[in-house]
Amino acid sequence: MPALPLVQNVDLFLNDKPSVYALRQKALQSLQKTGFPAKKNEAWKYTDVALILNGEFTLNTNDEPCGNHRCCSSANNQTETINITFCNGRLHLEEFATPEGLTITPLPLALYNGDYKPYLCHAYNMEKHPFAALNQFYLEQGVCIYVEKEKKISHPIVINYKNHAKQSLLQNIHNLIILEQGAQAEILENYISETDSPYFINTVNEIYIKNNAGLNHYKVQKAPISANHITLNTVKVQESGKYNQYYKSSGAKISRQENLISLNGSNATAEVYAAYTAKKGCLTDITSNINHLLPQTQSNQFIKGVLESDSSAVFQGKIHISPYAVKTSGQQLHKALYLADNAILNCKPELEIFADDVKCSHGASCGEIDKEQLFYLTSRGISKDDAIKILTKAHLDEITALIPNKMLQELYFA
Amino acid sequence: MSTPLLEIKDLHARVKNKEIIKGLNLTINAGEVHAIMGPNGAGKSSLSYVLCGKEGYEVTGGSVYFKGKNLLAMSTEERARFGLFLSMQAPVEIPGVIMSNFLKQSLNSVLKYQGKEELDTLSFMKLLKNEAESLDIKPEFFKRFVNVGFSGGEKKRFETLQMSLLKPDFCILDEIDSGLDIDALKTVAEGVNNLRTPKNAFLVITHYQRLLTYIVPDVVHIFADGHIIKTGNASLAEQLEKNGYADFITGE
Repeated sequence: MPALPLVQNVDLFLNDKPSVYALRQKALQSLQKTGFPAKKNEAWKYTDVALILNGEFTLNTNDEPCGNHRCCSSANNQTETINITFCNGRLHLEEFATPEGLTITPLPLALYNGDYKPYLCHAYNMEKHPFAALNQFYLEQGVCIYVEKEKKISHPIVINYKNHAKQSLLQNIHNLIILEQGAQAEILENYISETDSPYFINTVNEIYIKNNAGLNHYKVQKAPISANHITLNTVKVQESGKYNQYYKSSGAKISRQENLISLNGSNATAEVYAAYTAKKGCLTDITSNINHLLPQTQSNQFIKGVLESDSSAVFQGKIHISPYAVKTSGQQLHKALYLADNAILNCKPELEIFADDVKCSHGASCGEIDKEQLFYLTSRGISKDDAIKILTKAHLDEITALIPNKMLQELYFA
Repeated sequence: MSTPLLEIKDLHARVKNKEIIKGLNLTINAGEVHAIMGPNGAGKSSLSYVLCGKEGYEVTGGSVYFKGKNLLAMSTEERARFGLFLSMQAPVEIPGVIMSNFLKQSLNSVLKYQGKEELDTLSFMKLLKNEAESLDIKPEFFKRFVNVGFSGGEKKRFETLQMSLLKPDFCILDEIDSGLDIDALKTVAEGVNNLRTPKNAFLVITHYQRLLTYIVPDVVHIFADGHIIKTGNASLAEQLEKNGYADFITGE
């Protein structure tokens, strides 16, 4: 059998524990069976990952990933937020000062103790998600966030993914987020890099929202355009649970945010808001797959994008409504602004409706900067470049204005 | 004699393949107010766009000198920074752009060009509040999006506010009276009159004589078919109000 790209022999923590080893081996077998996505895969039709597959990456196995780097000392200075930091793909193992009702467990420890078995590696089908299989093959780094029943965590939890390695690292991170019945929390994920190394970060989130629980999930992805970023974000929402996502993406050579959301209980809702800038020469992919499984479930997706010259963007929005899911509502809207003629936008709505009495809509628009607006601003002495910046920011601000937590909005989305 | 503030000589311009300005001559000195009146579709607004360098308006002949410089060689933003201002007939709405941010960036672009110190937020807001007060614009306005949901009167007052902030040397007022009731018209006209100095000049484009009783012009031009067909003093506007354009256009 020919060697698979990105698959390397490495001695991971707990390879000697049969249950953990089995998860990794199962992933390898799946990957060997499916291979990596190619253009013939419908879900990856517009996103060519050859650049990632042909890349030469090393794995970071150093237990002290950053030595005396300043990110370590500053990690927990902010008292407004509860901070978790990954450096170069590895979690800073430390005691987390958490409020009552919140438990943060490093994934290695959870694997060692055999915690969270009913949740871990259950939310996706590896054969349909080869990069999630790759992630599971390297299952080791990650964090488990658990909120107890009826607890409201008032401080936002901020997960920083920092890269400051000079070499190109392959980073696989696997997070588990569980909100028990009636629990409330806010989690922000922040992806940044201090170097221009072409690293590849491959993240899987498994999010479980129980009855009446609510999660506001924020994500900011502003890695340099040398980086590559693929995320599979799975969410299962039970009865009357609420999941809201606010995503801002303005970096990485290839970036893909794939949301796999199941509305598993009646009155469950999911809202996805995204604002992206596809930089020159880069590709930004937002793919979502929302399954309405029970009655009166609601989903809403509103995505706005800006495409710079020679960039490309993909929005694939699948809404599946099962035969039982009557009186449901599924909406999606994508609006893009392109700054040059040579940008490419692939926008694909897919509605699969198997129930009667449902409300579904999809819309897409794509346009240039409004010439009248541009003239107005320049006729007031503002340079053309600045005027374009003002207008593109205004375009995306319609999304960021929806962010409920104003502190996070100011700190991370401004 | 000193150089005129604005000197247009034999100007020709077109949009796409349609000639819209056909040999226009106009000289405006500092301290003067000129009015241009003319029937719909005569090219009055087009003239203002040509002077501001709007994309799509192509000059095919003639020259325009402003404060001794070749205006046509400058970009739209350079013209604005150099002291040209167009109060637009129908200011465009810009959702997502907050009024005060826009005004600050606009003013600072102009100040920077003129070699003056840019204003920080605090001193800018102070200035803005001051200028807005005399135009009866409430501070709540500054947080709104540029022109979004403004009434006709609010839009024109906002244009006048920008004029008073940027202090341009030459202002074109394109139908500043359209969409205004009589009270709003008075406020706007008063705002414009307060801006008059011996150093600046105004070109007032209008259909109606009514505006000219509030902003009294030194010179009135009748503009039809891409050029000026008659020039006179303020009484010309009154004559026009009585008899319409037909006299001038057919009786030429």
